[in-house]
Parts: sequence; structure tokens; C-alpha cells
Amino acid sequence: MDEDQSAEETTFVVDEITTVIKEVVESTIGNSSYQHSKINQWMSNIVESSLNQLTKLGKPFKYIVTCIILQKNGAGLHTASSCFWDNTTDGSCTVRWENKTIYCSVSVFGLAI
Amino acid sequence: MDAGANTYLIRPNYKDKFKAGVAKECIREILREQLYGVQYNPEEVPTLSKSLADSIKNKLKDVGFDRYKLIVQVVVGEQRGEGVKMAARCFWDADTDSYVQDIYMNDSLFCVAAAFGVYYY
Repeated sequence: MDEDQSAEETTFVVDEITTVIKEVVESTIGNSSYQHSKINQWMSNIVESSLNQLTKLGKPFKYIVTCIILQKNGAGLHTASSCFWDNTTDGSCTVRWENKTIYCSVSVFGLAI
Repeated sequence: MDAGANTYLIRPNYKDKFKAGVAKECIREILREQLYGVQYNPEEVPTLSKSLADSIKNKLKDVGFDRYKLIVQVVVGEQRGEGVKMAARCFWDADTDSYVQDIYMNDSLFCVAAAFGVYYY
């Protein structure tokens, strides 16, 4: 019984994290258009709120959250990541979000302690 | 007397910490080598960015940060005058963990590479 619980608590659950991040992005830039003057504030908001929500989950993990915001003007963007960790306990998830003028990509890496 | 009693390190020695200077040089060399004179080509860039991430990770492994987990993130984009912003926040142990980042630009593309080192207790 106890072992089952602790196994759940110490693996990276992608779905839960994806939901949390989607909510955060929606509430920060949900209906906005790209505005150069507001970008800094949006970035800080997204990254800090995500981190706050993740730490509230109370799991024994270290988190790294990165966020990229891109203005839509026809240019292409590619992201890749390579990780050297423990596959059984650590994981990552990336949430892509867009509206008419903004592309936003948030990546979360979770490393078990 | 148990001679081996307190040998498990829960903090890296000063010499074994994630060295930002060394890691940044690794990233810089790889980006310069692999992206010099490269044009943005939407078919090749996905494989290019993956191979950059893997090369950087392998080079950092060779340098030998003992007991560190490594995460390398590479972003490659086309230069068309658009506005881009990238930010990261981390919830970790500031004494043992650290990150480095480097940016490479030429006239058709830009590339941001970030490497994070997290100590495994």
C-alpha cells in the first residue's frame, strides 16, 4: 500500500502538469495581442505562476520552467532538448499555445530528488 | 571504528560543482562549429536542433560533472525581424545547481542554447 503511494508521488505525471500550465497561460495572455511593452510582464507572470502552482503540488521534485513567446509573422521556430537523467523518475512536458498574434511554448522539466 | 561511515556526499565539493565557465565554452564551441554559415531551412532545422542538443549534452558529459543531471534546451528560429522572448525559472537548490546559456546569430537564423545542471543527492 505504502509503496504504491510513494511510487506515484515520485514519478513525473505529464497530464497533471500539462493542465496546470495550460491554465496559467490562458489566464495570463488568453485574449491578448502581441504588445512589445507587455511582454516582459507576461513572461514573468507565466513563468512565476507556473512555478508556484507546481510547487504547490507538494511533490519531491526540482523544477525548471522555460517559456518562449514569439510574435506571429511567418517565421519558423524549432525547439529541441536533450537530457541526461533517470528515466524512471524524471520527465518533461511541453505545452504549445497560440492565438492570432502570439505563439507561446512552455517547457517543464521535473527532476526527482 | 567504521572507516567508511561518512563518505556519502550530499553536497558536491567545491571543485566538483557545475562550472559555468567551462560549460559555457562547450556550448559556444559547438554552436559556432555547427551553425557557421548555415541558412535557415525548414526541412533541415528539426534534425539540426536535435543534433545540437545531443552534441552539447555529450560534450558536457565528457567534461565530467560527477553526480549532476543535465538538461540541454536548444531553440533555433528564423530571423525575420519578429519579436522573441525566452525566460526560465527554476525551483532547485541554488547552492548546488546552476545553468548556462549562449546565443548565436547569423543573418538567417538565431539559436539559443541553455544547459541546466542539477545535483543528484
